[in-house]
Amino acid sequence: MPPVLQHAIAGFIVLNVVIGLVTYVTLLERKFAARMQSRIGPYYVGWPHGWLQPIADALKLMMKEDVVPDRADRWVYNLAPIAFLIPCILIFATIPFAPGLGVADLNIGVLFFLAVSSLEIVGLFMGGWGSNNKYALLSAMRAVNQIISYDLPFVFAALVPVVLVGSLQLSVIVEAQRGWFGWHVFSVPGLLAFVAFLVATLAAENRVPFDILEAESELVAGFRVEYSGMKFALIQLAEYAHMIGTSFLGALLFLGGWLGPGPGWLGPVWFLFKAMGVFLVVTWVRWSFVRIRVDQILAISWKLLLPITILLLMATGLWVALQGPRAG
Amino acid sequence: MPADGSFWSETGQLVRAVGRALGVTFRNFLRPPVTVQYPTVKRVYPDRFRGILALTYDKETGEENCIGCRLCEFICPPQVIKVEMLKAEKRNWAKTFTLELYACEFCELCVQVCPTDAIIMLKTFDLATADRRELLLDKDRLHALGLQHEPSWATGNRLRDMQAPPKPVKAEARGEGKAAAKTAGEPAE
Repeated sequence: MPPVLQHAIAGFIVLNVVIGLVTYVTLLERKFAARMQSRIGPYYVGWPHGWLQPIADALKLMMKEDVVPDRADRWVYNLAPIAFLIPCILIFATIPFAPGLGVADLNIGVLFFLAVSSLEIVGLFMGGWGSNNKYALLSAMRAVNQIISYDLPFVFAALVPVVLVGSLQLSVIVEAQRGWFGWHVFSVPGLLAFVAFLVATLAAENRVPFDILEAESELVAGFRVEYSGMKFALIQLAEYAHMIGTSFLGALLFLGGWLGPGPGWLGPVWFLFKAMGVFLVVTWVRWSFVRIRVDQILAISWKLLLPITILLLMATGLWVALQGPRAG
Repeated sequence: MPADGSFWSETGQLVRAVGRALGVTFRNFLRPPVTVQYPTVKRVYPDRFRGILALTYDKETGEENCIGCRLCEFICPPQVIKVEMLKAEKRNWAKTFTLELYACEFCELCVQVCPTDAIIMLKTFDLATADRRELLLDKDRLHALGLQHEPSWATGNRLRDMQAPPKPVKAEARGEGKAAAKTAGEPAE
């Protein structure tokens, strides 16, 4: 079999797994959020505990009427969900789910991930601009503002494990964390970087408390206010895919990816477990805090998070230069 | 970010606040849900529940309790009750009794003034309908509702006994309670 075909098949499988995972992560989040508010959450669609709810939601969204606003920029408006979805799905290409299990374990995996995941701004801004709606446009402008601000601390925090290991390849970074308390999160720079990573993740994914782009009281639903039906579903899919992808990256960089007790085939299970842990922490934060003002968000990024992560990266680099990189 | 020297104290405050906020939601997460799955599981309603109104029958004779005295009509604040009296030899009857439940404010005043415990409230509120005319309850409907659902504790005589001033002798208190029942036009303060 030619390698191109192999990659295509692997990509197809990963794509479907990701879409299925994203669909069910919404259920996980709703259940988790419900428990935090002493509710039950989805319950009646499917026994037990409404496990068919995501399917029902997807079916409902497919059957919805597809409305295009009268004065919308049709091309931009229709292309925006796709332009938003592609980078969010593409980031899974480089994620290894276990040794040798993944689409392409690039030797510049981290760089690829960070570069591609930043591209989502383009689709987001296209959506806000093409809708010809002042709320959508304001939301898109806020989003671009915020995502650009937080991509820097996000990148610097993600680079700390890269510097520690001395490689941009994700599988190498994971293997370097093998051993008793070998995960990066158990080292001082790793822990600090992980916290910074989580905060930057919240902001880069536009989650509460950094969700000014869809501040309901001001901007209705943000840049997706004019979308309905399957286009809305694509946007939701992209957002959750981005969230899951970032959780996967966090699990790989800081929590030792597929490493864990038990036989080797448990690796993907451990990996999924850790990634869902990161995701649940993000959700936990979402239901614990209120929204922060725009100026506060930018101040946190430029005045606090960015200097801290830069200093952390420099200190890590100095430490590594003196000690030599960890065995990779 | 504070520019003065209190940076570290404010940072400490911030960290503590974040920890407390996360702790609150986490404690909530460990607590079981408080949801009651309403149509399948029903909560036990308190005895003084003020629900849908109904008319009662006498338990021994099986006659209607309502004597058509119109006290409830007079006291009803939103004026949703309309009664017509039917004079007879032994006792009076209500010829018609209509209650516009869609405008009722469930104040229980009609129950409080009823001298014969004829109108009561039920421990149910579930009378949702798509047609508002179905909430215009006539005498038959009110009687039927009274047989369908569990009644609340409160009746006119019980409420008046409860609200009457304390009496030194029990037998006397009974006599006065009945006398009050005959003349009660407004609720006791």
